[in-house]
Order: sequence, then structure tokens, then C-alpha cells
Amino acid sequence: MDNIISAQGLAKSFGSLKAVDDLTLYVRKGEIYGFLGPNGAGKTTTIRMLTTMDPPDSGSVAIDGFDTRKDFIEARRRIGVIQQHHSLDKDLTVKENIYHHALMQNIPFKECKSRVEEIIPLMELQERMNTKAEKLSGGWKKRVAIVCSLIHRPEILFMDEPTTGLDTQSRNALWKLIRSINRTGTTVFLTTHYIFEAESLCDRVGIINKGKLIVEGTPQELRSRIGDYALVVTDPAGEESVSYHSDLPAARKAAQEAPGDCVISIRPSNLEDVFLELTGRKIRCSTSRPRCSGSPTAICVI
Amino acid sequence: MFNFPSEVFRVSYGDLCYMKHNLVQTLVSTLVGPLLYLLAFGYGMKAGDTEYIAYVIPGIVAISSMNSGFSSSSQKIVIQRLFHSSFDELVLCPMHTSSVIFGKCMLGIIRGLAGGIIILGLGMILTPDLFVDYRFILALLMSSVMFSLLGVSAGLLANSTPTLSLFNSIIILPMSFMCGTLFDVSSLPEIVSYIVWALPLSHTTSVLRDAASGSAVDPVSVIMIIVYAAIFYAICYIVIRKKLY
Repeated sequence: MDNIISAQGLAKSFGSLKAVDDLTLYVRKGEIYGFLGPNGAGKTTTIRMLTTMDPPDSGSVAIDGFDTRKDFIEARRRIGVIQQHHSLDKDLTVKENIYHHALMQNIPFKECKSRVEEIIPLMELQERMNTKAEKLSGGWKKRVAIVCSLIHRPEILFMDEPTTGLDTQSRNALWKLIRSINRTGTTVFLTTHYIFEAESLCDRVGIINKGKLIVEGTPQELRSRIGDYALVVTDPAGEESVSYHSDLPAARKAAQEAPGDCVISIRPSNLEDVFLELTGRKIRCSTSRPRCSGSPTAICVI
Repeated sequence: MFNFPSEVFRVSYGDLCYMKHNLVQTLVSTLVGPLLYLLAFGYGMKAGDTEYIAYVIPGIVAISSMNSGFSSSSQKIVIQRLFHSSFDELVLCPMHTSSVIFGKCMLGIIRGLAGGIIILGLGMILTPDLFVDYRFILALLMSSVMFSLLGVSAGLLANSTPTLSLFNSIIILPMSFMCGTLFDVSSLPEIVSYIVWALPLSHTTSVLRDAASGSAVDPVSVIMIIVYAAIFYAICYIVIRKKLY
């Protein structure tokens, strides 16, 4: 499969802090690629370099074969970007913001109106076209930002933590939209620190820690690296230890060997486990999965 | 060859919409300062001396084009960069850097031209010694473009609104009074007059005054305005391409 994003040896420092360190990654055409890592891992710095917003200190990026330094205009024609913080002009209405983006993407004047009319029903923005951007809630601002980033029909959509700050309903709606955008052939590159988001939405995931890409693959491949099942043993003092096992019988067998006064639970492993196993750090507590509340010596399989 | 006017319009569309929404406020804020200068210096100090009014009006037009050009461009960019994060959107678009720079100048240029023409029109009612020809409009346009470019570069370099205010206080405000706008600088000490001569507003004032009085325009001043505009443009270009902001 063709690589639509090729980044080689990217590095970026801010003073003595190495935000991104010799990062190489490839994103295939048509996939949803999740870039997962804790806060401060270098996700936003990476996405800014990939989208031509910041030049790397060293290394190179090619978007659909166009070098982002030499052919930055051609590279920019192919990308849409939704930044972590809303970048709408708050003094303008929704309609003016969308038209401004359409114009800045060099869409012919005659075509702007039809493009806008085509895309706004997707995000149900018809009723809010004349509302000033500053008066919109976070969810609606996100919708407008999505429309703005899609108006020129980009081949790649970059989303920096798209669901941060959204309620569950808005988040589910956004996931649905991301999938439908992807079905039309648009490659999606998104950063997130939500494990469940990366697992359920992405075809492939790259995990970044301290500026380095530590592992990459499909969620299933990454889980299989450490074992598909996690055995969590909590001692009476509340200390947790986790071990990983290739299948459920192996995990159950290991659970039998645990001390009798511990709380034991077995659950499918997840990307948090992958991250924890590789770095010794947690990404972020995921609240999307139910927690085990088993009694002592019980084996709880989630 | 890219379509430069089309790209400039596309970049400036947002700022033009903003001006449309705030037309009255924009006009009032453009005119209040120059009208106060006219009232204070033309009537307060010289008791309506028509010869002095004919002298001071081009100076006030120069101040107006400088203030409008500089403040419109710089403030909008600082807000878009630091508070709305929307300046990154411009950088992300497939636009040439020159289009982005001049697109962001448009609001300042329009305000500078509008303010200057209104003040001049008022001056022509007050004194018969002023007249307008293409040279005056051209000089006003050059002045507005140059100071808008200065505003864009200041807006790109300022890391906070206090920094921009400081720039305003130590560069723009002294220029307003010291560059031959309201009085003849030949009375200043020699060393000060050299410094004043090197400042851009001295040259826009000189060119506007020559054009408004029907005298021959000093070519050195025209060249100085072009050189300053080129320097400010180069600063903007380097800052945007190197993403130093």
C-alpha cells in the first residue's frame, strides 16, 4: 500500500527540551492512523511538523510525495487540519469563517457556495450559519472547524486530540463522522491520549513517549506483543501487579498461583498495558471500561 | 505566475468581514485622533490661521495613515496569533507568503486611505490652499502600505499585547510629534534633526505636503519610503517563512 505521509528522522527541540527525537513514521493511504501518547510526549509538535506549521530542526516530511520544505504549497493543498484549540476567527460568523477557509484554500469563487451548501448539512450547521463563532459551544466550534478543514476535500485529515473536551454524545458523533470521512477515501491522522479512542477508531496506532516512537502496529498486533490477557493481582495493601498471557487459560492458570488474600482480575489487555509494559509509565486512566470490583480471592474476568 | 490580487483578497476576506461588522467603530476610531490634532493645533494654537491649517493638514494625514495602518494590522495579527490561534490557519493554507503579508495589510491600507482622504476633504473646506491630485493619493497609498507592513511585522514579532503597546509608545507616538507633522523640524537641534530625518514618517509627511501644496515631490523621500517598505516586507517574509513568531 502507498505511503501518503512519510516522515524520516524528525527532530525538534525547544531550548534544552527534545520534544521530538529522531522520529520516523509512515502512514498508508486510506487508513486511520492514531498517534497515542501521554501529555507532553511530543504529539502536537509532531503534527505541527507534519502539517508544515513548524519546520523540523532536522529530518524531512513528504505529503503524498511532496516535500514539506520545498513544495509546501502542494503539500498544503492535500491536507486539512483540525487543531487542538479552536482556530476560528471569533469575530466572524460561522458562514464567514467557512467562506474564508474556502477562499484561502484557493477554491474558485463560483464553487465556494456549492461546496458550503454540500458540506454544512453533514454537521447540521444550517441553523447556526449566522451565529458569531465566539457564541458557539465547544462541540459546535469543533463542528465548524471540521467543516473548515474539509471544505477543500483534502486527501489527509489531521486531527490533534479531536475529542478532548467533548461530551460522550458529541464524541460518538465525531467518531461516526471520522469513520464516514475515512470511507470516502480520506486518510485520517489523529493524535489522542484516550486509549479506547485509539483502539476502537484506528487501523494502526503509533505510540510516542518522550519524543520517540516506541512501537507501531494495529491495536491487535500491539496487544499480542505483550499478551492478549492481563492478569491484575491487587494485594491487601492495594498494590497492583499485572502480568500478561497469550490466552485466557494461561491467565487463569497464573491466577491460581496468586496469594489467597489478593483481589484478582483477568481482562483483555489494551494499549495502556502496551504503553505501561514498554515504558513503565501510564498514559492516562481510561474511564471507558468497567472496573473489576471482585471480592478477595475471586477471579473476575472482564 | 500566481494570481496575486486574488490571493490577497482571499487572505484579507476575514478582515474585510470584520471591518464590515464594525464599520462605524472603525471609522470613528480612525478619525477621532486626527480631528483632535486639527482642533488642538489648527484652532487651539493658531486660532484658525488658514496658512497653518494648510501646513498642518498633510502632517495630520500622514499621522492618520501611520496610526491606522500600523494599529489595524498589528493588533489584528496579535489577536489572531496569541488569542484566536487563527493565524496558523493562514500559514497552513496554500498561499504564497507575499499574498499573506499583503492580505494582512489590506485592513490597514483601507483605513489609512479612508482616514487620510476624509481629513484632507475636511481641510479643503477649511482652507483654499490645499488641493488633491494623483500624486497625493499615490503618496497616501505608499504611506499606508509602508506603515501597514510595519504593523504586520510588529504584530508577528510581538509576544504579548504589552510588547505591542511598548512599540507604540516608543516608536509610533514619538514619530507622530517629531517628524515635521505639526511644526517645522528645522528649529530642532542639528543632531535631533538628523535622527528625525531618518524616520519613515518624516518622508511620508514631506511627500504628502509637497503633493498637497502643488510643489515638486522630493525624490529622496520617495526612495526612502520604498526602502522602508522593502525592509518591513523582508522582516514579515523572514518571520513567516522561518516561523519565528
